[in-house]
Amino acid sequence: MSPGALALKGAVLAYQWTVRPVIGCNCRFLPSCSDYALEAIAKHGALHGSVLSTRRILRCNPWHPGGLDPVPPARD
Amino acid sequence: MDQKRLLAAIALSVGILLIFDVWNRTMNPAPVAPPPVAHEQTSGSPVPAPVVPAAPGAEVSAAPAAPATAPAQTVAVANGRVEGRISARGLQLDQLVLRDYREHTRPNSPLVRLLAPRGLPEGYFAQWGWTAADGRTPVPGNDTDWTVTGGPLSAASPVTFTWDNGVGQVFEAVVSLDDNYMFGVRQRVINRGDQAVTLLPWARIRRERTPQTAGFFILHEGFIAVQDGRLNEVTYNDGKSNAATARGTAYEGEASAGWAGLSDKYWLTALTRAEDGQRLRSAFRHVPEGNVDRWQVDVAPPTAATVPAGGEAAFATRLFAGAKEVHLLDRYRDRLGVQDFDKAIDFGWFYFITKPFFYALDWLGRTFGNFGVAILVFTFSLKLFFFPLANKAYKSMSKMRLLAPKMTEIRERYKEDPAKMQAEMMALYKTEKINPASGCLPILIQIPVFFALYKVLFVAIEMRHAPFFGWIQDLSAPDPTNLFNLFGLLPYDPPAFFHLPAWALIMGVTMWLQQKLNPQPPDPIQAKIFQWMPVIFTFMLASFPAGLIIYWAWNNLLSIAQQGYIMRLDQKRQQASLTPAQGGAAPK
Repeated sequence: MSPGALALKGAVLAYQWTVRPVIGCNCRFLPSCSDYALEAIAKHGALHGSVLSTRRILRCNPWHPGGLDPVPPARD
Repeated sequence: MDQKRLLAAIALSVGILLIFDVWNRTMNPAPVAPPPVAHEQTSGSPVPAPVVPAAPGAEVSAAPAAPATAPAQTVAVANGRVEGRISARGLQLDQLVLRDYREHTRPNSPLVRLLAPRGLPEGYFAQWGWTAADGRTPVPGNDTDWTVTGGPLSAASPVTFTWDNGVGQVFEAVVSLDDNYMFGVRQRVINRGDQAVTLLPWARIRRERTPQTAGFFILHEGFIAVQDGRLNEVTYNDGKSNAATARGTAYEGEASAGWAGLSDKYWLTALTRAEDGQRLRSAFRHVPEGNVDRWQVDVAPPTAATVPAGGEAAFATRLFAGAKEVHLLDRYRDRLGVQDFDKAIDFGWFYFITKPFFYALDWLGRTFGNFGVAILVFTFSLKLFFFPLANKAYKSMSKMRLLAPKMTEIRERYKEDPAKMQAEMMALYKTEKINPASGCLPILIQIPVFFALYKVLFVAIEMRHAPFFGWIQDLSAPDPTNLFNLFGLLPYDPPAFFHLPAWALIMGVTMWLQQKLNPQPPDPIQAKIFQWMPVIFTFMLASFPAGLIIYWAWNNLLSIAQQGYIMRLDQKRQQASLTPAQGGAAPK
């Protein structure tokens, strides 16, 4: 993992263990947005993983039905 | 499994850090108020004599035991909002009391004293002077007695200080004051000698010790400067370590617009240019003397002025010394061109949200006559604004109830495999076109907004000494009641660590209730932390300003009420749509 990817992973984990317990888990998807981000960064790297995660969070609103939405497989 | 343990360890560490923070804060009680103004002359000079070149100013404290020096002439300063004095010895503004602010909420509590003479441990003063860049011209020093023309200093009448160095140069400083907290100082040197002299004028703020800071990491206290549009902040701690590697200079910058000073939570001293186009070099310095830390902010032109025989040179600066009132700082920014002066209030990263919030709260506070009510009303309007988001999410709530049997079935079937259970649930949601969660995006949008409100409440001077209903006399101080002496029923004063005020308990209970309505985290360990959060927060927030806890509790209550309201609304809607259908004559 690149340093950037590691830093992002740390940030997401920190969110899951400190902020999420306070605000509750409000995700409409499986896996949840934060789990999705961890997986996307691991599979696609810091840059592409962040893009995927951002798009996922934008989808995660009351006007989207939600449901199962796994991380797309890596291209190679 | 290993990762689970690692994560549990991380969670535990975070918990310990939080508890340590609370411990730390309760073990360091609020700063002891400086003695009232009247007592100041009785204190001697308990600090060792300063060793820097600019030393002899220590006598200014005029301890009665040192009659060798004649007492310095002083000029009274008063404009209705401030009261103080300028010492003609060394040209130091070394006494300033803010008449609109008191140390405590008690009616006869002493006024807030911002500046104090050099010899006192809380010494904090401003000074104007010159440095001989040519190394030979005699310049005024800390023990120079300037000649005073005029006085006392008020908004209507400036005062002129002059000093003749005896070899041809006359130094002059014209000090003025406005109706609030802004001083103007125009320094001038007139060269009547027959040789050119090279002199560097300067203005400085000195603080003779590190003040007791509020110690919250969301609030900056220490050196602060705006230099050509860039905000620079250096805490006392960072200043010390910066200075250690840069020969005492913690910060240095040169700019054609801006200001530099020392910021407390509510008070500020800052130096800025008085004339457009004047470039200024600003510095923040740390001067250790023995085990006492001295701090200095100084401004000067980038280069010394060479004054030809018969010529003169001038340097004009302004000094702000007073309370950080947002409208006043705005006015100085707009009328005097003090760049970004409102940033002296720590509005933070979300400036574009926090500043408007501040105006709204301030307006509400004045309209309702109580800042606590303003907090309640403002939080309510914010909730109202986000209501459509929440409403949309909970629309499917009653549909969920119809599906309850199916969901219990899934839960029973996959008891052993939570991951599979969740997947099945999601599949069910999809086929039935429902979803109980509101989604991450609405939450993500709301976090900065509510954090901004929190931040505004933290920095607003309007909250200082503002009362609320019942036992709250000061919204910016911790709630004084305590569960451990049954809210004052027992004649017992528990140690600082055992502080559990009534409002913190109310906050904890509302948080717990609100959590009951929230979905739980999927991970079992996280779910455990989740359950303990209300308890952790109750203790963590116990020593926070009461206004913040009231805001937090009110916010929780509103969330609960909102959820209840939406669910009832939804039930009615459901009934309305069911009744005609049962009759079999539902219109299409």
